[in-house]
Amino acid sequence: MHWLTSFSLVRRRPLLPWLIGVLTLISVVAWGWQPPAAAVTARHYTDLTFPELREIQIPDYERYELDNGLVVYLMENHELPLVGGSATFRTGERLVDGDKTGLGNLMGDALRLGGTEALSADALNLALEQRAASVETGIDEAVGSASFSALSEDLETVFGLFSDVVRRPAFAPDRIEFLKTQYRGSIARRNDNPDDIASREFYKLIYGDNSPYARTIEYQTLDAISRDDLVAFYRTSVRPDQMILGIVGDFDPAQMKALIADAFGDWEAPAAPPLTQVPDARQARTGVFLVDQPQLTQSYVQIGHLGGQLSEPDYVPLAVLNEVLNGFGGRLFNEVRSRQGLAYVVYAYWAARYDYPGIFMGGGQTRSETTVPFIQSVKREIAAVRDRPITDDELARAKDAVLNSFVFNFQNPSQILSRLIRYEYYGYPSDFVFQFQRGVEATTVSQIQAAAARQLNPDDLVILVVGNKAAIQPPLETLAPNMTVTAIDISIPEADA
Amino acid sequence: MFGFSWFSTPFHALPKALRRSLHRCLVLFLIGVVALTTAPPAAWARSTTPGSSVQPYLDRVAKAVTEFTLANGMKFIVLERHQAPVVSFMLYANVGAVNEEEGKTGVAHYLEHLAFKGTERIGTRDFAAEQQVLAEMDDVFAQVLAAEAAGNTAQAEALRSRLETLRQQAAEYVEQNKYGQIVEQAGGVGLNATTGADATRYFYSLPSNKVELWMSLESERFLEPVFREFYEEKDVILEERRMRVDNSPIGKLMEVFLEKAFEQHPYRRPIIGYEADLYTATRDDIQAFFDAYYGPNNLIGVVVGDVNPREIRAMVEAYFGRFEARSLPAEVTIAEPRQTAPREFTLALPSQPWYLEGYHRPSITDPDHVVYGMIEGILVNGRTSRLYKDLVEDRQVALDVGSINGFPGDKYPNMLLLYGLPAPNVEPDAIGTLMQDHLGRLSREPVSQEELDRVKTQARAGLLRRLDSNSGMAALLAEYEAKTGSWRNVFAELAAIDAVTAEDVQRVARATFQPNNRTVGKLVPAES
Repeated sequence: MHWLTSFSLVRRRPLLPWLIGVLTLISVVAWGWQPPAAAVTARHYTDLTFPELREIQIPDYERYELDNGLVVYLMENHELPLVGGSATFRTGERLVDGDKTGLGNLMGDALRLGGTEALSADALNLALEQRAASVETGIDEAVGSASFSALSEDLETVFGLFSDVVRRPAFAPDRIEFLKTQYRGSIARRNDNPDDIASREFYKLIYGDNSPYARTIEYQTLDAISRDDLVAFYRTSVRPDQMILGIVGDFDPAQMKALIADAFGDWEAPAAPPLTQVPDARQARTGVFLVDQPQLTQSYVQIGHLGGQLSEPDYVPLAVLNEVLNGFGGRLFNEVRSRQGLAYVVYAYWAARYDYPGIFMGGGQTRSETTVPFIQSVKREIAAVRDRPITDDELARAKDAVLNSFVFNFQNPSQILSRLIRYEYYGYPSDFVFQFQRGVEATTVSQIQAAAARQLNPDDLVILVVGNKAAIQPPLETLAPNMTVTAIDISIPEADA
Repeated sequence: MFGFSWFSTPFHALPKALRRSLHRCLVLFLIGVVALTTAPPAAWARSTTPGSSVQPYLDRVAKAVTEFTLANGMKFIVLERHQAPVVSFMLYANVGAVNEEEGKTGVAHYLEHLAFKGTERIGTRDFAAEQQVLAEMDDVFAQVLAAEAAGNTAQAEALRSRLETLRQQAAEYVEQNKYGQIVEQAGGVGLNATTGADATRYFYSLPSNKVELWMSLESERFLEPVFREFYEEKDVILEERRMRVDNSPIGKLMEVFLEKAFEQHPYRRPIIGYEADLYTATRDDIQAFFDAYYGPNNLIGVVVGDVNPREIRAMVEAYFGRFEARSLPAEVTIAEPRQTAPREFTLALPSQPWYLEGYHRPSITDPDHVVYGMIEGILVNGRTSRLYKDLVEDRQVALDVGSINGFPGDKYPNMLLLYGLPAPNVEPDAIGTLMQDHLGRLSREPVSQEELDRVKTQARAGLLRRLDSNSGMAALLAEYEAKTGSWRNVFAELAAIDAVTAEDVQRVARATFQPNNRTVGKLVPAES
């Protein structure tokens, strides 16, 4: 069970906790003689008082641009003999032609796996793994990236391999074919897990089957992608004037700058205009939908509608509302899980995006026969925060939770640097995280209710159930008078002969 | 409580969607068996090998660790790290599903859920009154079970209804999820717990000015726990079982695999428990399990972050010193008989195929433990590993391959599990044949120096990267303390890895990869 913290990039399926590891701020070890610790008496938590938290320290960093437009961020950190870096490119799977869905993802994978002009894929793998280093690339929906990680003693070598991957990829034809086989295998397996089905089909209902934010890779779209397409998409995507490079770790800045200048200074941006048009998003469907899976004893439920962006004024109050609904002591967890025992997983949150409308999404899983009560419970909680003000106590708890844990946004330099780069990429102010903090401090009960009333609309809801139709008793038709339930066919389209 | 745990599979080429789904399948099944795949990271000694600059950093970290044991037997480990004003905590209970009695499976995990329900003072509006209703409910539930066992449906129905009335009455006293709410409101993050075959872990992180809050809450939690909302939570756990096992083909495959691979040892049973056992579990069962296994000498506390060890010790004495010493619980003594013939089974389920094969291996305390980690590295870690390179990249018969070393735990003799996802139109057996060719080769021919060096370097760098994470280090120190007798083995193991030779790998491979030591599990698509 997960709920999103306010700053994490909203993920489609926020399922795995991720260990972001890295390094440090400034050491404040007290040296020398220390007074003996004061005697302590065990106390109940209500009797405790706490000292002030020492101030958050933002490590120094440098931002500069090369003549070719490449933006560089450097942040030193010498706690461990490691260096990590990432290049962010203005591109994305959402920018490719729908007939060639998957082109962006495939190019992102082939960039690294296809080897370089100097090294075959195998030789590159060996060179990295012998040094316990990595170079990885990928193109997601809204962004492209290439990253490396190395022991600092191997920095020069690994950075050289990294820049070769970025600038001189070979896109070896046999590696492209290999990747296509992998993608085909992935298509064949996409209905093996009910959670995957629910998530995928929910996005299609919200954004539309053909929307860049929901469409899926098919055998046909894969077959339509040629090596020339990959190379052409690479040329328009991976270029210095559309690249932000961030490096964190145990490096010498003068040496690092020389390495960067050497590797990327003579790289000229192509004449072709960059890919910048962000596709818009609109809600495609509303109503109740069912994917019948007779083997299941549980229903996987998704409820929601089109949402908004982080830059909009309602984002802050709705982020606070997320805390009221979710988490320990959140309304959904308390009511649907702990009190009614209806689910192991239940959630509803406003999942905003940086540059296009995200989704307000709720749901969870419940046994087949409690599907309708579960949906009604979640809908009731959604309606409640629109119709009635939350309590002052709930507001205080939600704000405290965000503000008291604010320090966890500054655990290590790589976390801080990747946030700065994300803000620059999406055109947000570099202090957006602090603006958010101030916004939360100022949020009121009435602002939350007003935002909920504006943004949460029961009439727009998509309700999707992946479950065993015969066992869902009472049936979904009982959710409302004259309810029609639309069946969704998830069979996988065969490749063209 | 939510039971997800970090789980690293080798960094392969698998498309993200599939990679994610595969991770999830395995992770969901293995409720919180931490540190599964990667060989426990290792320490280093030599100065000529690549990456030798790492050693001083590891030494420095080891020096920043302090440890002490309270008079009641509770052990604490503290690692100072002042990079940011935050602290990660772990309370490691040296008890897991392996300690459960036959017929009472799932009790360890059930207890872990109930450990979030509060204490005599947290989570209740009136404990004295609440306690009476709870006792009454337990009586009624005992009668429900008796009526059901006697086949008296009408009586069982009436008692169920009585239980429901009492449940609503009890709910009036409950301040729901108060414990977690206190933590979250104070700025705590990552509050969760996992139950594995060997251990139960409770953890979260706080801003470093609130260390005493953890001391107060965590000590009270196990000093005077109240297992309230027991019957609601039973439904939640049954949902969790449906999600992880009944509705997950890979979850079912793993459950059956353990039942086949082990005949006697409790590792054969599912961590989450069998449905029938969960259904009949009582609050007394939970209490008895708690009394037996949550004594202070069976618990380890770990604190990693921006703290002063002297202050930690003073607080620990005051708060955890309140626990009364208890006798140590008995160790599991059931030994798995030596396997004498190959085992194999096939499940037909609505899913694309999977192939698993596992071999019995000794526990984490065996001198050859590190060799198994190296074998795993040579076979499946990274794109240059043998099975990945051959099966996935060159022959393209598998979409991915992977392993779990120490399955389902590693405190006792366990399994080295290898798995493969057949590519479209490939039979699972084709994966098995190739896997066994590679295992045979590992038994016949010494591995190259290059491969050995690669795995050694990766192990060392792996530990280094882990030092970045307060919570990751808390988990690692606790695990080694509990399973090997000292947290120092996190670092000492480096020397052991450094000393592994090609002959060691061949010797261990030859002893392990015998047909008579093998269990094969296949998942094939059911015609629907």
